[in-house]
Amino acid sequence: MRRLIVLLLLSSAALIERAADLSLPLKPDSVRLAVIGDSGTGEKEQFEVAQQMTACHNAFPFDFVVMLGDNIYGGHEPSDFKRKFEDPYATLLGAGVKFYASLGNHDVTNERFYKPFNMDGKRYYSFKRGSAEFFVLDSNYMDPDQLSWLEKTLTDSNARWKICYFHHPLYSDGKTHGPDLDLRKELEPIFVAHGVNLVLAGHEHCYERIQPQKGIYYFVLGSSGQLRYHNLRPSSEMAKGFDTDRVFALMEIAGDQLYFQTVSRSGDTVDAGVLPVQIRRPARTQIERRASPAMATASR
Amino acid sequence: MAILAACSAMAQTAGTPVPANRGAEIIQDFDQRIGDYVKLHKTVQSEVHRLKPTKSPEAIEQYEHRMARGIRAARRGSGQGDIFTPEITAEFRRLIELTMSGPEAGAIRESLRHSEPLATRQFRVNSAYPAATPLQSSPPSLLMNLPPLPAELEYRVVGHTLILRDIEANLIVDFIVNAIN
Repeated sequence: MRRLIVLLLLSSAALIERAADLSLPLKPDSVRLAVIGDSGTGEKEQFEVAQQMTACHNAFPFDFVVMLGDNIYGGHEPSDFKRKFEDPYATLLGAGVKFYASLGNHDVTNERFYKPFNMDGKRYYSFKRGSAEFFVLDSNYMDPDQLSWLEKTLTDSNARWKICYFHHPLYSDGKTHGPDLDLRKELEPIFVAHGVNLVLAGHEHCYERIQPQKGIYYFVLGSSGQLRYHNLRPSSEMAKGFDTDRVFALMEIAGDQLYFQTVSRSGDTVDAGVLPVQIRRPARTQIERRASPAMATASR
Repeated sequence: MAILAACSAMAQTAGTPVPANRGAEIIQDFDQRIGDYVKLHKTVQSEVHRLKPTKSPEAIEQYEHRMARGIRAARRGSGQGDIFTPEITAEFRRLIELTMSGPEAGAIRESLRHSEPLATRQFRVNSAYPAATPLQSSPPSLLMNLPPLPAELEYRVVGHTLILRDIEANLIVDFIVNAIN
């Protein structure tokens, strides 16, 4: 048994020894971030991904990490916050890297009060970095109030890059969940009308970059802690998929370009590329939403 | 006017038709009960001090427990049907049936299937929603067709059950079994 544990530790150390070979341009004044999803298991693999992120941070000093939900799996005792978040990312947190969380279906709503998640007590919120604005949604509970807030906030935004992220994917070739069609029906028209450039989601425990849909870039990244081996069932919508190890992504926004590199826990580059900003004229009017029968009844 | 006509037409095709004025009265009754609950929630909140963002998971946990204790004490003796009265339950079933037989029905059912549906379980008013149990996502089309709730409360679908949950106290306030089929 002891030999097995030693072997596991040695193989883990060997994985982390090889830092990823990064190809991001590190342009002056660029916006630099990392992306993780479905991370909060507290298990060895989450720590190994975190170590690889830390190694990458030395070469590519990202300022913040966006979390695509399922930040804390299982119990939500104080010890869970430590083991599933504070310990794995201790070095990054110590280096002043900020984490901006969205809520997944395994999270509890009161995580929004946990300061290191930078949600300021809100289920959905936005923040700006350079030429980019991030719109963080709670896809567990997409009620009319949240949809109205999103439309208004997008309408008011003059950011060059409008990036939305949340837990449940609108497009996915994952066998376990697949796309959330009802969510897509409500969100996609808003994204299109208001010139959203990029959408990030988790939930599916694999990595997938989708072919642009209605001019919008979509990534699914739900394997920074969890993993479902061979869970992808590729369709024509898939540009790139990876479902055999845990990953995280690094992104750099510089002017009209978004550079990305997706890295596995063993330091392999799973996907990389550059996305040009889309030339679209966002609508300035709100999308007409049908009245609910309950509201119509109540207003009589 | 057109919306009301459309709703009236929909009501006649799904479920038992409810006279418009009666439907409005039932929703007003629901809103009143929700308003009373929110007053109670705020009273308890003022006693335990509203939570601000904190680095301490212990503080979050303690706040949730204090809120739950206070609300349980204030609602001692409450049970299923205090908010979802038989009439309100019937009206909710009608609204859900309208949604589930409308053009969004396919997407909603698909979303529910993919949202890690949970096995039917026994719920009790004033008990905590189990922390380690994932929250099944609520289809937006369904939320759009139910009476809006204040920020303190939310609807949750768990299997076939519709739950009314106090978010900060993580308490089950009331529920309707077999609401979604």
